[in-house]
Amino acid sequence: MDVTALQAIAANNDWMTIFPELLLGCVALALLVLEIVLPKRLHASLPGVALFGVLAILPSQVMSFWVGYIDGDSFNGLLHHSYEGQVMRVFFLLTAALVCLLGTITVARRKVAQTEFYHTVLIVTAAMMLLAQSNHFVMLFVALETVTVGFYILVSYFRGSARSLEAGLKYVIMGALSSAILLFGIVLLYGVAGNPSLPAHTTAAMNFDELAAFLSANPHHFLASVGIVLVLAGVAFKIGAFPFQIWVPDVYQGAPTPVTAFLAVGSKAAGFVVLLTLARTFAAYVWLTLPVLTVMAAATLLFGNLAALTQHNVKRLIGLSGVSHAGFLLLGVVSAATVPLGYGAVYFYLFAYLLASFAVFGVMAHVGGPDDADQELTHYAGLAKERPFLALVLAVGLGSLAGIPPLAGFMGKLFIFIATFRAGHYGLLAVAVIGVVISIYYYFGWIRAAFFADWNPAPAAPARPPVDLATRVVLGLLAAGTVALGFYQGPLGGWLSGR
Amino acid sequence: MISASLHTYLALSGLLFVIGFFGVLLRRNTLVVFMGLELMLVASTLALVAFSRYNGTPDGNIFVFFILTVAAAEVAVGLAIIVALFRQRHTVQVDQLNSLKH
Repeated sequence: MDVTALQAIAANNDWMTIFPELLLGCVALALLVLEIVLPKRLHASLPGVALFGVLAILPSQVMSFWVGYIDGDSFNGLLHHSYEGQVMRVFFLLTAALVCLLGTITVARRKVAQTEFYHTVLIVTAAMMLLAQSNHFVMLFVALETVTVGFYILVSYFRGSARSLEAGLKYVIMGALSSAILLFGIVLLYGVAGNPSLPAHTTAAMNFDELAAFLSANPHHFLASVGIVLVLAGVAFKIGAFPFQIWVPDVYQGAPTPVTAFLAVGSKAAGFVVLLTLARTFAAYVWLTLPVLTVMAAATLLFGNLAALTQHNVKRLIGLSGVSHAGFLLLGVVSAATVPLGYGAVYFYLFAYLLASFAVFGVMAHVGGPDDADQELTHYAGLAKERPFLALVLAVGLGSLAGIPPLAGFMGKLFIFIATFRAGHYGLLAVAVIGVVISIYYYFGWIRAAFFADWNPAPAAPARPPVDLATRVVLGLLAAGTVALGFYQGPLGGWLSGR
Repeated sequence: MISASLHTYLALSGLLFVIGFFGVLLRRNTLVVFMGLELMLVASTLALVAFSRYNGTPDGNIFVFFILTVAAAEVAVGLAIIVALFRQRHTVQVDQLNSLKH
C-alpha cells in the first residue's frame, strides 16, 4: 500500500464526529490525574467533576444534530452517523449522569476506591456511544468488549463483599461465553462473505453495508445462517433474553445498586441498538431471524414475568422484570422488520424505561441498608409514612414500568403494541398482554409494601437517611418527566409518526 | 510440503470451539472454565486466520490483534476477581459459590 492511499484513509478519519466520546475519555483520565494531584480533603468533589463533565458534554452532543454529519460515514466506514445514533448518544450521556449521581449515594457509603468508579462509568459510556454508531464488526466487537470488561469491574466493585465478587465472577463467565459465541458468528460471516467463489463476494466483509449486499445476493447460504444465529445468540446474552437470561437475577442482586441501574438501562439499550443495526444488516435472512426473534420474544416475556412473581429481593425482582421489558423491546424489533413504526417504538420505550427505572433505582439507593445485596420488599414497610416523597417517586416509577395509563411506560407499551398489531403478530400480542397483566401484580405488590401497613411485625428495616436537595430535585424531575412524557411525546412523538 | 485445506482448519476450529463450550458448561473449577473460554476465543482466531488466508483479505489478520488484546483484558479482570473471591470464600468451585439466592 503506497503513501497516497494511506493519506486518503487518514483524511477520512473525521475526528470531529466522535468529539463527545473523546471529551468523555479526557474527563475520565482527568479524574485519575486529579485524584493524584489534589489534596485528600478535595477528593469528595471528584464525583462532582465527573457529573459536571457529562452534563457539559450533553449540550455539545445535542449540537451535533445541527452540525450536519448525520447520515454519513467516518473512519472509512467503521462508524455510521444516523439520527438514531445521535438520539442514543444523548440517551447514554443521560444514563451516565444518573449513574454518577446514584454513585454519590451508594458507593460513597462504602470504604472502597471512589474515583475509579466514575472513571470506569465514563469509559463504558463512551464505548456505548461508539457502539450505537458502529458500522463494522471490528468496531462493534471492540466497543462491545470495552463495555463488557468495564462492567466486569463495576459489578464486582465492592471488593469486600463476597456477593458482589460472586456476581462479578458469574458475569465474567457468562459475558465471556457470549462474546466468544458472538465472535465465532462474526468469523463465519466474514469467511463466507469473502469467499471468492460466491457471487457478490466482497473484500471488506466486516462492513455492514457490504455484508448486507452480499447476504441479499446469497439468501440461503448454510454457513452464513449459522453465523447469523450465533451472532444473534451473543447479543441475546447481553440483553438478557430467554434462554440466555440465567445470569440476570444473580448479577443484578450482587452488583452495587448504581451498577445494577447501569446494567438494566445502559447495557440493555446498547444491546438493543446493536440488535436493530444487525436486524437491518441481516434483512435478507428475515426468513431465519424473524422466527428466532419471535420465539425469543414470547419466551422472554413469559419467563421474565412469571419468575419475577416469586421474588422477595427487590434487586432480583427488578432484574427479572427487566427481562420481561427486554421481551417487550424484542416485540418492537420483530415488528420493525415489516413496520417502520417498530424502530421508533423501541427508542421511545427505552427513554420511558430510562426515566422510570432511575426513579425506582434512586429510591432503592436510599432505602437500601449497609448490605447492598440484601434489599427485601419488607424493608419498604412504612416508607410512605416516613418518607412520603420517596414513596411517591417509587409509585410513579413502578406505575410507569407496569404501564399504567397516564404515564410514559403506558405510551411506550402502546406504541410497541400498535407496531406489533400492524405487523400482524397477533399471537405475540396476546402473550404480551398476558405479560402486562402478570407484571401489574408484582409491581403493585411492591407499591403495597411501601404504602400499606403490614400485619406481621416486619424485621427491622435499615435506617433511612434524609434525602439531600440535589437528589430530591433529580428524583422529582424523573417522576415529572415520566408523567409529562405520557401526555406529550414532543419531538420524539413527531419523529415516531414521521417515520 | 503438506498443505491443509480450508475445511481442515474449519473442522479443527469448530472442534476447539465445541470443546471450549462444553468445558465452560460442565467443569466445576473456575480456572478450568476460564481455560474453556480462552479455547473458544482461540478457535475463532484460528478460523479467522484461515479465512483471511484463503479469501485473500487482510482484515481478518488485523482483527486477530484486536481479539488477542480484548482476551488479555478479559482474563486480567477475570483472574483479579477470582483471586479476590478466593480470599473471601477460600474456594473457586462454581457449585460452592451460591450466596446469591432469594
